[in-house]
Amino acid sequence: MTTRRVGAALVLLAAAAAFAAPALAPHALDQRFVALLNAPPTVPRLVDDRGAWHLPFIHPWRLVNQLEQTYEQDRSTRVRLVWFANRRLVSSSDEARAPLLLLGSDSLGRDVFSRLVYGARTSLGLAAVASLGAILLGGTLGATAGYAGGIVDDLLMRASDFVLVLPAMYVALGLRSALPLVLDAWTVFAFLAAIFAVIGTPYVARGVRAIVRTEARLDYASAAAALGAGHARVLVRHLLPAARGFLVVEATTLVPAFIVAEATLSYVGLGFPDGVSSWGTMLHEASSIRAFTDFPWLLSPAAAMFVVVLGLNLAFQHRPPLSQA
Amino acid sequence: MAPVSGRPAFWLASQHLTRHTRNLAAFFLAVLALGAAWAGVRRASNAAATRVGAPSDPGVRPTGVPRGGELVVSIRTEPVTFNRFVKGDSSTDLVSNLLNAKLVRINRATQEVEPWLAERWTRSDDGLRYTLKLREGVVFSDGHPFTADDVLFSFAAAADEAGGSVLAGALHAGGGTPEFTAPDPLTVVMTLSEPFAPGVRILDNVPILPRHRLQPALASATLASVWGLDTPPGDLAGLGPFVLAEYLPGQRLIFTRNPSYFVRDADGAALPYLDRLVVRVIPDQDAELLALEAGDIDMTTSEVRPEDYAPLKRAADAGKITLLDLGVGYDADAMWFNLRPGAFDGDPRASWIQRDELRQAITMAIDRKVFADTVYLGAGVPVYGPITPANRLWYAAEAPQPRYDPAAAKALIESIAGGQPVRFSLLVPKGRTAIERAGAVIRDELKKIGVTVDVVALDGAALVQRVAGPSPRFDAAYFSLYASDTDPAINPDFWLSSGTAHVWNMMQTTPATSWERQIDELFAKQAASSDEGERHRLFADIQKIFAAHQPVLYFVAPRVFVASSSRVAHVEPGLTRPQLLWAPDRVAVSPARAARPER
Amino acid sequence: MLAFLARRLCFAAFLVFAVSSGALVLARLAPGDFATADLGVRAQSAEAGRLRSRYGLDRPLGAQYAEWLSRAARFDFGESMLYGRPVRDLIPERAANTAVLALAALAVATLIGLPLGVITGSGRGGLPAAIIRAGSVALLSAPPLLTSLFLVFLAARTRLLPVGGMGGSTGAAGGALADFVRHLIVPAAALALPLAAMFERLQSQAMSETIAQRFVLAALARGIPWPRVLWRGAFKAALRPVASVYGIVVGTLLSGSFAVEIITSWPGLGRLMLDALRYRDVYLVAGCAAAGAVFLAIGTLMSDVALALVDPRTQE
Repeated sequence: MTTRRVGAALVLLAAAAAFAAPALAPHALDQRFVALLNAPPTVPRLVDDRGAWHLPFIHPWRLVNQLEQTYEQDRSTRVRLVWFANRRLVSSSDEARAPLLLLGSDSLGRDVFSRLVYGARTSLGLAAVASLGAILLGGTLGATAGYAGGIVDDLLMRASDFVLVLPAMYVALGLRSALPLVLDAWTVFAFLAAIFAVIGTPYVARGVRAIVRTEARLDYASAAAALGAGHARVLVRHLLPAARGFLVVEATTLVPAFIVAEATLSYVGLGFPDGVSSWGTMLHEASSIRAFTDFPWLLSPAAAMFVVVLGLNLAFQHRPPLSQA
Repeated sequence: MAPVSGRPAFWLASQHLTRHTRNLAAFFLAVLALGAAWAGVRRASNAAATRVGAPSDPGVRPTGVPRGGELVVSIRTEPVTFNRFVKGDSSTDLVSNLLNAKLVRINRATQEVEPWLAERWTRSDDGLRYTLKLREGVVFSDGHPFTADDVLFSFAAAADEAGGSVLAGALHAGGGTPEFTAPDPLTVVMTLSEPFAPGVRILDNVPILPRHRLQPALASATLASVWGLDTPPGDLAGLGPFVLAEYLPGQRLIFTRNPSYFVRDADGAALPYLDRLVVRVIPDQDAELLALEAGDIDMTTSEVRPEDYAPLKRAADAGKITLLDLGVGYDADAMWFNLRPGAFDGDPRASWIQRDELRQAITMAIDRKVFADTVYLGAGVPVYGPITPANRLWYAAEAPQPRYDPAAAKALIESIAGGQPVRFSLLVPKGRTAIERAGAVIRDELKKIGVTVDVVALDGAALVQRVAGPSPRFDAAYFSLYASDTDPAINPDFWLSSGTAHVWNMMQTTPATSWERQIDELFAKQAASSDEGERHRLFADIQKIFAAHQPVLYFVAPRVFVASSSRVAHVEPGLTRPQLLWAPDRVAVSPARAARPER
Repeated sequence: MLAFLARRLCFAAFLVFAVSSGALVLARLAPGDFATADLGVRAQSAEAGRLRSRYGLDRPLGAQYAEWLSRAARFDFGESMLYGRPVRDLIPERAANTAVLALAALAVATLIGLPLGVITGSGRGGLPAAIIRAGSVALLSAPPLLTSLFLVFLAARTRLLPVGGMGGSTGAAGGALADFVRHLIVPAAALALPLAAMFERLQSQAMSETIAQRFVLAALARGIPWPRVLWRGAFKAALRPVASVYGIVVGTLLSGSFAVEIITSWPGLGRLMLDALRYRDVYLVAGCAAAGAVFLAIGTLMSDVALALVDPRTQE
């Protein structure tokens, strides 16, 4: 059961980071370091070049070539880190000369680490709400369709087909034009969560329906029904548990998909306003060749997503009894 | 008056996969091979660099240009048709320039008009009649002889708006469309209703099509439906340097040399230099970059993005490609406000949002150094108006250039806002990296003077609908406006208050302000003047009025970089797209590796 | 069986109708039209007016829709404004490419994902299983944009596979088929990898649940060897979830493949769909949506057949 704990710990870690973002992030979200576009991370050090030990410090970056975005470390200068200053866990003692960039900076000179922890709030919150919505909605509809069968089944499944193939981008475009030009973050959040929940529903519904349908024909379900258990009771107590594993896996595929999809919908104008960062948008901005060759730190949201999804996977996995045998 | 090639003189590049045609350009800047270290690596790059500014007669070429071989270029969107008369996007235009010839060609490297199908021309003393002599013995790719009838047919087809032509506007000169007559099979006379300074320049807009093939379509007003992409290659007949051999939808077009192409180089050898030209469709810009680095393509049809400079520089250092710095471009992205009278009725901001002072304050508040460093990674120069220093002939250095002064800007804003919070939304198109970075810089710089900017990214069509729809609903917008020619007389739709690209207040019936009326009058005068000196003085005055009222704000114009594989042995780079392929008949690849490695 | 197929056909036909109508109406309601997208700021010029009247964009939505419907009944789905060709010609050409890509990706994903899922789900995988699981999670967490870009990047850097659209040069070695296959590898891999990861996760989960069931214990008790129990009995019983999502996967591969198609220069429907969206090419939008519905109908059928094969109890 230790893997489960590890998984839970990973998820909790991400949630805690998101919660504590204002204290963890060394910089404000939209603070730009104009002379440090795409600068590499300033790695905290303890030992200087002569082998002497110090309190944690960083070396500043010096711009070598603006057009090629290359930097060199000024190893002669040590800038001490300060703790618990300005209600931030850690920051540089000389922000103007050597800001603390734990994960480097992006193409606008913003601190990637700060954006990552703030982005965790947006992206994880959105993915959690939307996945939960999709699972509840899809689970209910799928179970109803699978259990009831007949015309109810047909209607629900055809409706889900319709949602599946209708281009969601157009729905978003239409919605966007009906909304005011300048949107606040909460409105965007609510709309995105609603759209994603609806888009995710058919995927969940279909699997649940298939599972419920086969289970309903098994002996124990008919037995339960024969014993006079109500439909709802049969469904909830006997049939849905069979779909539990499926739902967990679905959740682990929906969460990353929704995090990424947020950036896609920003294309039709349903993106978060400036003051908000999100992993999807960060990843979208990082989707260039140079992220692979020169600026790997821009890919850190993908790593963060991996940690979260792995955590979910481990935490909720179904461990078969035989595996301990 | 003439939006060149069916495009508006200035138009909005709303799509991040570019479909715009930036035609023409003005004076060519010295082309610099970047850095001695890699410029010296290959003779090819030097050849390209030094040959720029060559005389405009295509017959005078340095000898010894290698012949034969295959060139592979990429486009990001497919052409829409083989019929340039019905569509003017960049890919359709590119293909048309391979298949067809025109009477004259504007040399994109020198901005001078050079002869093509017309061998020479004369202008009457009153400036109203141009007599053009056509080349003798020219035949279409199907062997049919070319005569003045084909020219008359092509201009008639271009004017046939009912039949679907998009080139009608491109032939407007001053008061209206010129009349064309043919006194004999090798002479065409163009008669204008009033003097028009650019003269034969507008003839670069219309490809000459075969009358013997297309006359029935013109007669039945079905021109729009002929020569679609499903036309068998053999049915196309043209005068251009290449003929179509094969078209694979969504993938590639293969062209082979047109053996009956009529242009010869200084050695008397028939052009084009190339045997084959393959145009591949690569929709993604990153994939295009990788293909160029890997040697899968020889050149792209657009400039290098600032963020792609470094990887290409490395490839150039390794000897794989040639990277050229063509200097400052002709166009800068622009920001403007909705200046339509009454647009802000009932809005508390009406008292300041359309005032000149707001825009003057903004231009003082933007640190152009920071702007250039962030948006173009330092590869740009400050600009203060629509004409950049690249357009040497028409750039007015004497127009005022407000210096960076946030304190004065702040004071100016406070003087007009009277204590009200100053806040407006800025529309930007989603998906263009340089524009999105610019939006962030504008927001940050204006924040320093107490102005709040809500940057709103919308998809292209939605944005255009707001900015240029039947009832514009926007505060301010920032994106690309491209001039279609360096000669301002060809861009009336931007300058004139009645113009369709007069973006801050389009298609006015009468000028809304006295300064717009003044610009209208000066513009008409300079377009009709036959005295170049007077034209320059008048246009400098227009630029000064523009600078005083700043209806459109300009911050930085980017430098233009282009790259080609090191196989390319001869090109004449121009500043506008397609920078390396505006004269496809004169592009050559080195014979040593003419046979490319199989993949 | 025949009745079942007939019913399915009816549903499919209705879905195609509903989805293409819905897409057309939505596209028409979206801000801007083809003229604004194509002409930029000159959206109010005379030329824009001619464009609008030529394609019927200046008429009220109801009239435009009725006209489209009556023509669609005669299998004329209008002309794509962007490509200047009938939608009827344009779609099959691209749909074939997408179908090839989707089938290749599906086959690869199934062949990789399912066996790996059995290994990780059997609970006896040890370290390899842990690595496979981590790999799956990584693939699921990577945006399709990034995966495709990275594969194209690898292909370009290693020079093993061609970058971008089919056929750059003449007469590629090994003929047209080999050339086609070489160009298929990168896009198919980009599409297949996340799919394989999803299949692996689903199969793994179902396996571990199945193994926990009594029939497995019973089989083991009867002395049937473990691999045989695993691969014959449990594997088949655990296929249900994967089989049930198969249909959706097929139906959405085409709309979900646009990032892959664009980055890998694959001339399929996804690319067409994105262009149609960007240019408000309403008839093409409707056509693409219809093609999507057909894909989904086929996928659903495949899914049902798969389910029936896996589990005879579901037979209608």
